[in-house]
Amino acid sequence: MMIFESCAEIRSYFSDYVDGACDTRTVHSIRYHLSNCMPCNEELERYRSLQTELHELARRQVSSSLALRLRVQVSQELHRNLAQRVMVRLENMFRPVLLPSVAGFLVALVCMGLVLGEGTPRSNNIPDVPLQIVTPPRIQELAPMNFDMGGRPLVLVTYVNARGEVTSYSILSGPHSPKLMEHLDRMMYFSLFYPATSFGVPTSGRLVLSFRRITVRG
Amino acid sequence: MESVHLMGVALDLTAPASSDEAALVEELKAGSEEAFAYLLGVYQNPVFNLIFHMIGDQTEAADVLQNVFLKILRGIRQFNGKSSLKTWIYRIAVHEASNHRRSCGRRLFHEPFSVDDESLQARVPGVMLGRDRETPYRVYEQAERQAEVKRALESLARPYRTVVVLREIEDLSYEEIAQVLGIAEGTVKSRLRRGREILKRKLAAQMGS
Repeated sequence: MMIFESCAEIRSYFSDYVDGACDTRTVHSIRYHLSNCMPCNEELERYRSLQTELHELARRQVSSSLALRLRVQVSQELHRNLAQRVMVRLENMFRPVLLPSVAGFLVALVCMGLVLGEGTPRSNNIPDVPLQIVTPPRIQELAPMNFDMGGRPLVLVTYVNARGEVTSYSILSGPHSPKLMEHLDRMMYFSLFYPATSFGVPTSGRLVLSFRRITVRG
Repeated sequence: MESVHLMGVALDLTAPASSDEAALVEELKAGSEEAFAYLLGVYQNPVFNLIFHMIGDQTEAADVLQNVFLKILRGIRQFNGKSSLKTWIYRIAVHEASNHRRSCGRRLFHEPFSVDDESLQARVPGVMLGRDRETPYRVYEQAERQAEVKRALESLARPYRTVVVLREIEDLSYEEIAQVLGIAEGTVKSRLRRGREILKRKLAAQMGS
C-alpha cells in the first residue's frame, strides 16, 4: 500500500480514480485514506458530481434539415463526374412520375384492348353451308375390311341414297368371287356415308371406291 | 454490413463492431452510398455534439460538420486501419473544429438562455414539465446549472477542453483520446486532471457568487 504524505497528494489521483484508471495499490491507498479523511471525501464527491453534470449536458442532435443537407452533399460528392450527375438528376426527375406513368400506360393499354375487342367481328357457331351447287357423296366411316383380293386392286362404284345408305354397288375392275362379294356386302352394310347434295339438299349419288391391299411390316 | 437507408433523418445507429468495421470501410472505399448513409446515421450526432462543445455555436458547428464529412468522404481511401474508424473520424472532427476556432479567432460564446426557449426540453434531458412532475422552478434551476457548466466548459483552454469533452461527454477511453489527439496517454491524464481541477474551481466560484 502506498502511503500518502498529504491530502493534496492523494487528491492529485482523484481524476484517475473516478475514471477507474488507478492501479490496485493506489486504489487501496486512496480507499484507506478516504475512510479517515472527511475533507477528501467531500473533494471526491465534487469530482463525481462534476462528472455527472458534464455527462448530463444536453446532447446536440443534428436537425432533419442538416441531416438531409449532409445526405445531399455525400450524394453530390459521390457522383462528381458529369455523366453520373446527369444520371442522378434524371433519376430524381423521373422517379416520382415513374409509378403513376407506368400505371397510366397499363390502364390505357387495357382500355384500348377493351375498345378494340368490341369492334372485332364475333365468331358464330353456325356450320358453314356448302356453296357448291352439287356435291358428291363422301365416306363418313368405312367398316374394317378383312378379305383377300389376291394382290390385285379392286375398284367399285357405290350408289348412296339421300339418307347416306348404300343401295347397291358394282365392281368395275378387280377380283370377282362369291366369297369376296359376301365380304363386300358386309362392309357396305356397316359403312356410313354423307349423301350427295344438290343446292344444299341431300340427294342420291354415286361414289367410286378403290381398294388396294397394303401390307405394313413390323 | 447491413445496408441502411436513411431519408435525411437524424438517426442514431450503433457503431459497427470491429469485425463489421472492416467490411464497412471496404464499402466506403468502394464509394457505396448506402455505406455513407450508414456512417452518417452512426456518427453525425456524436460528431456534431463534439464539434458543438468545442466551438460553442450550433450554426458554425453545422458548417464544420459538413466539412468533416466531406473530408471523411475524400480521405476514406487513405484510411489504413491503424486506428479504429471512430477514432479516425473524431480526429478529423477535432482537427476541423480547432482550425475553425483558429480561423475565427478565440471567442467565448455565451448563449442567451431563457426558460421560454423552445429548445428547453432538448437542453434539459429527462427534466420535462409535467411528465416527471418537475416544478417550473426545479426545471429552471437545473437548466441554469447546466448553462453554468456549459459556460465553464467553454471558458476552458482548448487543450483541456478537448480532452474533457472527449472523455466526459463522448465517453472515449484514454487510449482513444490519445489516438484522436496524437498525444501520449500520460498527457491525456494530466490534461484531464488539470481541466477537471479548473472546471471544479470555476463552478465553485460561480456557486459562491
